[in-house]
Amino acid sequence: MAQPVLISPHAESKRPFLTEQRRSRITAYTFISPFFILFSIFGLYPIFFTIYLSFFKWDAMGPMKFVGMKNYELITSDPTFWISFSNTLIMGVMGTIPQIILALLLAVLLQSGMTRFKKTFRVLFFMPNITSIVAVTLVFSTLFGNNGMINWMLNGLGLESMAFNSGWWGVKIAISTMVMWRWTGYNAIIFLSGLQSIPTDLYEAARIDGANRRQQFTFITLPLLKPFIVFVTLISTIGALQLFTEPYVFLGQSGTGSTRQEGVTMVTYLYSEAFRNGFFGTAAATAVMLFLVTIIFSVINMLVSSRMGGDTGGRKK
Amino acid sequence: MKRVKHLALMLVAIMLVASLAACGGNNNAKNSTNNSKNTSGNTAATNDATKTEETAEPAEKVELSVWTLGIVDYEDLAKEYTKQHPNVTFKFQNTGDQTAHHNNLTTALSAGSGAPDIFQLEIGFMERFISAQDKFYNLNDLGAKDIQANYLDWKWKQGSSVDGSFQLGLPTDIGPTVVYYRSDLMKEAGLPVDPAGLGAALNTWDKFATVAKQYKEKTGKPFADVTDLVFNALRDQSQDEIYFSKADGKFIGDTNPQVKKAYDFTVKGIQEGWISNAMLWSPEWGQGMTDGGFAVVLGPAWMAGNIKTNAPDSTGKWSITQLPEGAGNWGGSFLTLPKEGKHSKEAYDFIQFALNKENQLGSFKSVGLMPSIPALFEDPAFTEGKDAFFGDQVTAVEYGKAAQRVKPVFYGPLHDQTDTFFKNALKNVLEKKADPAKEWDEAVKQAKKLAERS
Repeated sequence: MAQPVLISPHAESKRPFLTEQRRSRITAYTFISPFFILFSIFGLYPIFFTIYLSFFKWDAMGPMKFVGMKNYELITSDPTFWISFSNTLIMGVMGTIPQIILALLLAVLLQSGMTRFKKTFRVLFFMPNITSIVAVTLVFSTLFGNNGMINWMLNGLGLESMAFNSGWWGVKIAISTMVMWRWTGYNAIIFLSGLQSIPTDLYEAARIDGANRRQQFTFITLPLLKPFIVFVTLISTIGALQLFTEPYVFLGQSGTGSTRQEGVTMVTYLYSEAFRNGFFGTAAATAVMLFLVTIIFSVINMLVSSRMGGDTGGRKK
Repeated sequence: MKRVKHLALMLVAIMLVASLAACGGNNNAKNSTNNSKNTSGNTAATNDATKTEETAEPAEKVELSVWTLGIVDYEDLAKEYTKQHPNVTFKFQNTGDQTAHHNNLTTALSAGSGAPDIFQLEIGFMERFISAQDKFYNLNDLGAKDIQANYLDWKWKQGSSVDGSFQLGLPTDIGPTVVYYRSDLMKEAGLPVDPAGLGAALNTWDKFATVAKQYKEKTGKPFADVTDLVFNALRDQSQDEIYFSKADGKFIGDTNPQVKKAYDFTVKGIQEGWISNAMLWSPEWGQGMTDGGFAVVLGPAWMAGNIKTNAPDSTGKWSITQLPEGAGNWGGSFLTLPKEGKHSKEAYDFIQFALNKENQLGSFKSVGLMPSIPALFEDPAFTEGKDAFFGDQVTAVEYGKAAQRVKPVFYGPLHDQTDTFFKNALKNVLEKKADPAKEWDEAVKQAKKLAERS
């Protein structure tokens, strides 16, 4: 919190209520209040209500019935919940790590090699991110169909067709591909802005000292990009844990099967629990579990990035 | 000067907050999916303008809000009704997304505000609401008992509590299942082409399997379209109950012989190769209708619309006959009156008007809703409509026959999700060549796990 400017530590004495100091404080708080008011209505209240709800049995219409820890017992004893948990992690790894490496390479290429069409490429990179996910998923579904283009290409290479709609790996590959397609460009743009913030004189100095391209990349680019890499990893991790639309649309095409074991994620599990089965209590418990998992991963992320040495904040000039 | 600025800014900020917070009060998402309404059909039959008035007119103006689902013509009927009752006007909201449609109602009911006066409830979601009797008007109190006899008994019972004392909705359309088949392909395979002849050749499931196998051997192509529809056809012929016991709501899918029969029959079809490997609603499925990738589609009355849109080039090549061993029902709706509405009497009067005999006939003619009033099935106005797409067959008669064979069945609130487990098992058998018995056990295990929660 920034301190108001007009602090005057006076001794207590008879003063009008609205001193200059108070007034400026009220003004300041009024200005920042919209966020806090909206956040408490749409953020804080639902969060606490979810935690409260996770101890009740409720179908969203009838009376709420207190059941204690039963919802947690139900979901933790449900194999599908654990499958959804492991699926989320596997698809998270499959979609995130290659994606970040690819985004970094794209950004470096764009920064160093391209001078003419930089702006065009930036727009192109960003396009997938603002396309409707549902539309994207439908297009990918036809590509990944049983007799779709991907299988046709595989067959052309003399390989077996893959069951992208129902295979244990097939489904995950298809969904991770969609996630990668959607977020690689977005992350590349963030890396690009990071690259542009690196002073060019560093590279010049390195070149004079006889460093080659690869050395420049490992000793200048990567260390100075670290805050950006940490940020992108954290955002991607949280995003990966909340994967929903792609599996939901991709697997739910025949009106069933959005909770197929091969591709069920924690959020699709939560969704079908609440909106297909009407068990809002277990859905809330799932949400709380997801919250805990997200916190654990964020903490791991922070520990790892601080262990890697160096600050994650501003760069020393 | 400075102070004035401060105050002005503060005021602006406060107003901004107030206006933003005001959005919080009204959070029932207005779903206005633009359903391209079927305007090609004539509007509802405008006969009988001289109907006898039975109900007293409301003294002051009443506006009724109505949420409808899919392609229906109730808006036209409402205009008609307003002509006769100038004090009653309507506000419509239509969507094609049935999940969102019913979730919006759930939200409105649990919030205690925002529900419409009249809500169109799809049968697949019936069980979710039938137990919430405190949230809906009991239509029996409003006079539904007197018109019960006009409607199909099984359809009426779908909208009643188990003991029949509470009536949640009035029946709109129904979805009796029939066999849609390609007469040209039957001819090539040396099978009967006329509905009666083919119906006789397929009048038991065993015969159906034999014919399907012969067809596959002769033409090299699958006979039936998709596993889901074959499974549904047999599943919906179950007596009284499918996955859950009518008496105590317990899971019985593992012991219900009809479910097992449906599963085994579909597995047989997969293993003998006479069910295609397309997925329901997929582009390949639509393609198969056009290019003859399969010869039959087992589906409800409203499936005709899907076949016409998927395969416009196959006009005149399709016909309809009866399913082996009985008919099932898939889909159809009810008009219900949520308790949040203040004008139950006026709302009830409108729905019984919209769903009476001549208006259901009008809905069938304009948007193809299969009526739930059996008296219409013999009505010449209903039975003379030839359909060029079906080789000038009078389809209404076949649907009517199927509708008479449907038996009421209890679903239970978890029917939809439980069904998914079995569908997934079949999909694994089809696509991954999985062991059917193992997949069956897995589906039963998942279904039991889910049932533990209720």
